[in-house]
Amino acid sequence: MEIPYTVHPRPDTGLYNAKVGIWLFLASEVMLFGGLFSAYIFLRVGADYPWPVHDLDVTLGFWNTIVLIASSVTVVMAWACLKLRKFGWYRINMAITVLCAAVFMFNKSLEYSAKFKHYAVKLTDGTILTGHMPEDEHGHIIPYTVKFGEVSEINLTLPVKKSAVAADPVHHVLPFIDGAAPKFKTPEGKEITLDAASFAEIRTAEIAKARAAKKDSASLKLTASAPFKLAAKPSQIFGYTPTTITFRDGTVATGKLIDDKLTLLVDGVDARGVAQSEKSLAFDHRYLGEGWQKAFVANRDHHISEFEKKYTDKNGKLTREKSKSATLQKESLFFKLHSSTPPAQGAAHGEKHGAEAHAPAAGHGGGHDYPTVVLEKKDVTFFSNFTPKLNTYYAIYFTLTGLHGAHVVAGALVLLYFLVFNGRMLREDPEHLANRVEVGGLFWHFVDLVWIFLFPLLYLL
Amino acid sequence: MSDNIEEIRKSVKKYIIIGVTLIICTGLTVWLSYVELPTHGLNILAGMILATFKAALVALIFMHLNHERSVIYKILIFTVVFALALFLLFYFSNIDPLVFEGFYKHNE
Repeated sequence: MEIPYTVHPRPDTGLYNAKVGIWLFLASEVMLFGGLFSAYIFLRVGADYPWPVHDLDVTLGFWNTIVLIASSVTVVMAWACLKLRKFGWYRINMAITVLCAAVFMFNKSLEYSAKFKHYAVKLTDGTILTGHMPEDEHGHIIPYTVKFGEVSEINLTLPVKKSAVAADPVHHVLPFIDGAAPKFKTPEGKEITLDAASFAEIRTAEIAKARAAKKDSASLKLTASAPFKLAAKPSQIFGYTPTTITFRDGTVATGKLIDDKLTLLVDGVDARGVAQSEKSLAFDHRYLGEGWQKAFVANRDHHISEFEKKYTDKNGKLTREKSKSATLQKESLFFKLHSSTPPAQGAAHGEKHGAEAHAPAAGHGGGHDYPTVVLEKKDVTFFSNFTPKLNTYYAIYFTLTGLHGAHVVAGALVLLYFLVFNGRMLREDPEHLANRVEVGGLFWHFVDLVWIFLFPLLYLL
Repeated sequence: MSDNIEEIRKSVKKYIIIGVTLIICTGLTVWLSYVELPTHGLNILAGMILATFKAALVALIFMHLNHERSVIYKILIFTVVFALALFLLFYFSNIDPLVFEGFYKHNE
């Protein structure tokens, strides 16, 4: 079927059809992003924590803005060149546009991966520690795991009816055995290895027995031939006590808790949620200790006195309230660590302030040494990397930038298609291609327009 | 849409000027965000005014909304009204039993 009015305007609208179409589509896109911007307003108004300002990499965000603006110029230039029949310049401008999109997405991936590797730990007193997980010699992150030793038996429940919590040790226990998997003995004294085939055999036999005895489920105790070790991330198991660990299939292993401490290379202490910041749990003798506490207090008092100097009028009265300055709160109470040992007494930590404020807050582990703390489980209420589950700011940050990134990719693919596959149309019907490029360009400008609001809202304000 | 070749030739220069203006405004937005205005709300307001100005430039010049057929404006009027309604929804969050005065008066 021939699509009508692709080149010449329709008499009643005065426009070629695709243009009306793209504007209707953009109108619906405005509502899509509008809904999410509205969500941003709600989350920010209702946030019960200091809303992060300048926490993302501002320099990277700034360059990405420049890249998108440049691509917006080149895409409209490509259209103009096509109208003027300068085909060479059309191709160059289109290629630059697509290249800009690639640069934008590459920068975005740097930003995202830095966030995935950066962690925040909330302590019971309201302190938030930020930092990185320890790495092994190959640079791989050593994940936080709960470790059990001297595990000697596992107890399985096998329901007669099909159930979501039927024991499945092959998938839910075996992967977490540290070292070689031992052999197990059934109550009857049969020795098995816990592989899929032999477990299926035992399961069938046990369920048949339970059915014969008119029971709802069979319980099976497997004794290990030699005590073994378990290590699992908290998200991979159901729960644990000092002597038992429950897996997600309901299987319970009995042993001894060896270690559930959380090791963190601390690069920041956020004491904004603590009533007396100098008494933050982070400065407990088990953790950062007295040296860092002194450095923290020196830095805090330095920023407070700077603030007082700056905002005191002739009569010696403060013109601004300390408690209402989010910047002062952040500078004085969100302490950044730059070395593995506290700075010497009297060293002017405050001089770093300018650099600190502009430095990327997250993710660049290289070039710095940080103090390592080993946090006890009872002191930790929550920990996460900088992903949507950390707080509502990161939730809306990833939602908005992720959706925007998807639009960048989609727009770039369309423009790339015009550049690569519409060579014949370029020669035979350039006016038609010009209309296509205009429509693709309108979408591209919209993507730029969304970013114009996203950049200040997420990075700067 | 300007089909006039002469107009398009002229507008090429305009596109570059607008691009440079947008970049300057971006720099200004970043700088302004580090200036501590009396309240942070004023920082947000200033940033949003600049962003709206930039967005208007993109929409009017790059997207040719400064000279478009009326059917496009008719579509966009509805979009603007509904989008503004979305942004103002948060105002209703003030009507909350915990802060809504009528809630306590009722009990008196």
